[in-house]
Amino acid sequence: MALNRKIAYINLTTGEIETKPIPLEIRKMFLGGRGLDMYLMYNHIKPGIDPLGPDNVALVSAGLLVGTLASASARTHVAGKSPLTGFVGSTNMGGFFAPEMRWAGFDHLVIKGKAEKPVYLWIHNGEIEIRDGSSIWGKTVQETQEIIREELGDSDVKILTIGIAGENLVRYANVMTELKNAGGRSGMGALLGSKNLKAIAARGTMDIKIAHPSEALEYNRKIIRQITSAKVSQTQGRLGTNFIWGATNTQGLVRVRNFQLNQLEDSDDIEPEKLDEFNIGMTGCFGCQVHCRGKYIIPSGPYAGVYAEGPEYTSIGAWAGEPGCRNPLTILVGNHLVNSYGLDTLETGSMIAWAMELYEEGILTSKDTDGLDLRFGNDEAVIEMVHRIANRKGLGDILAEGPLRAAKKIGKNSIKYSIQVKGMSNLHSDERPTPALALGIATGSRGSDHLRSRPAIDLYHLPEPVLRKIYSQPVPYDGPLSSDYRDYEGKPWQVFWHEMCYEAVDCLGICKYHTTFLGATLPNFEEWSKLLYYNTGLEMSPLDIWTVAERCYNIERLFNIREGLTRKDDWLSDRYFDEPTTVGIPGVRNKTLDREKFKKMIDEYYEHHGWDENGVPRPETLRRLGIDKEPSHML
Amino acid sequence: MNQETTSESIAKGRTLGAFRCLNCFVRISPPKGATTYKCPHCGFEWRVSWPLPDLPRIRGPVWEVNRRLAEEAIAKKKKGKK
Repeated sequence: MALNRKIAYINLTTGEIETKPIPLEIRKMFLGGRGLDMYLMYNHIKPGIDPLGPDNVALVSAGLLVGTLASASARTHVAGKSPLTGFVGSTNMGGFFAPEMRWAGFDHLVIKGKAEKPVYLWIHNGEIEIRDGSSIWGKTVQETQEIIREELGDSDVKILTIGIAGENLVRYANVMTELKNAGGRSGMGALLGSKNLKAIAARGTMDIKIAHPSEALEYNRKIIRQITSAKVSQTQGRLGTNFIWGATNTQGLVRVRNFQLNQLEDSDDIEPEKLDEFNIGMTGCFGCQVHCRGKYIIPSGPYAGVYAEGPEYTSIGAWAGEPGCRNPLTILVGNHLVNSYGLDTLETGSMIAWAMELYEEGILTSKDTDGLDLRFGNDEAVIEMVHRIANRKGLGDILAEGPLRAAKKIGKNSIKYSIQVKGMSNLHSDERPTPALALGIATGSRGSDHLRSRPAIDLYHLPEPVLRKIYSQPVPYDGPLSSDYRDYEGKPWQVFWHEMCYEAVDCLGICKYHTTFLGATLPNFEEWSKLLYYNTGLEMSPLDIWTVAERCYNIERLFNIREGLTRKDDWLSDRYFDEPTTVGIPGVRNKTLDREKFKKMIDEYYEHHGWDENGVPRPETLRRLGIDKEPSHML
Repeated sequence: MNQETTSESIAKGRTLGAFRCLNCFVRISPPKGATTYKCPHCGFEWRVSWPLPDLPRIRGPVWEVNRRLAEEAIAKKKKGKK
């Protein structure tokens, strides 16, 4: 059954491993994946610990529908206290690892302590071993996987690993699966590195019994039609997620040269259609029909002939828009390097772009850069900085610390130029003309984040009746809604709704591109209720699933508050309010966010959550969600 | 269990072969295979690409105006610092 996978507690200091079943009562409260991880995180991580010390706990999990007949049920979740922000650390990635972990018998790993020497975990059909990892320490993401597969004598082993950046405790190091499935944001790679845990390998043949197989198959066919007929899925299957950057750059909704412009003009050479010329085919994750991941071979230069996958739209922002470059080769190489080193493409690109602005402002000099000309548009300097960050060399060692610590080390008011929230760099989008998107990144539980609550469909100018249909279920809503993305009214509800939507999909382990993220016609709570029943036998209404999401999101908030978060952390850099946009379509030019209106949005957003004016969950909210007595230690 | 969901009902209003002008938001249909198209409502000119034969998408704006604005913005910033 999909509900009988276990939880394993692994102590890397002592070598002890204990496994337990997951009670149904807990399943109904948290489902799995991110939701149950958040509950475990709250319970097992003591307040105030050093996120890179042995007291931090790494949580690795699969969503509840992973490996079932549900479409795109591929997602792995990794959590812990973030080495980057000190708040919730949480990342979610596609590929094939999570289904394999479930077939090997496990849904959740709770990894404590620190191994004396580098190790990796080997999970196979109900068994877990801690194995010597000395042969893979110091290896790239790709090399590590090859060595482990050879060592275990099985080419079908699926592997979650860190790269050299994680070993070097770069605070925004990723966990990775396969070539490019990146668990980015919040530095979970550094967390694994701090435990001397290089990788987790999984292989299993323990079938997941589907509760109602015929109905599950039939319903999934329907879901597949729904997904593949959406224009956004069709475009994604052709151009990958790069189309998003093309669309937003077209309007003037991206960050360029750190935060100086909101459009990279004359960018024909790096538009999705141009990058498509390097593409040799598309591929996808477990159970997906969209196939949004491009494949390419680097055509020239020092890396000529290297096979890689991607790039994603965040990589265009990181290697083109942010540093003001227009060379497709920089995108292809930059993308390959961060995936090999196990670095967050978004954070790395943002840190380099920030350093470039500091260099042009004279805050950093060639002495600080060891002679590197760090002006905007210097493709070679951008690539060189990736190596320096991953290996913590020179200025790279400072940038590896993330925005807040780096700004403190550099001083000279360098923080003014840093575009971050809660110590995490913002996506390369410019939210000054889009208050809803701005609210989302200001309040995201893991720091500035487009995958926590972004109401991306707000950009589509959908008619009000369509918005009403979407946003009035499963919880009735009769407040204002506006088709204009520049409005402030009604947007807090949209952000709240998407928060619940993305939390739920992360609990289930389904890809966000298969939900109401980029497409208004894609599945959400109603469909998930059916998928859950047919695949697992769990009877949960759309409202029940929403409530699970609310419960989990409140635990994330409680965790952050326990770590010192206050209302002032739900805020954006001054440049959002003080420096107007300059380019783009007429409707987005000369825009700043209005401080007073933005404060009001935050008030309203807190109100929707049932939080007080300081953003603290009210007792009655916690009571309603069944977490009024501090989340207990049932697991 | 088999009743239509909200997402499915919204999908019925989908229009193929058209996209929204990103300037005025009116839904417009470029002639098949067109590489540029001026919005008949607001006059904004777009470059168009076709990910699939019947699926047009705005590839980008015509750059001249944006280039000038970007250059002015950077020049203004630099001037302000002198």
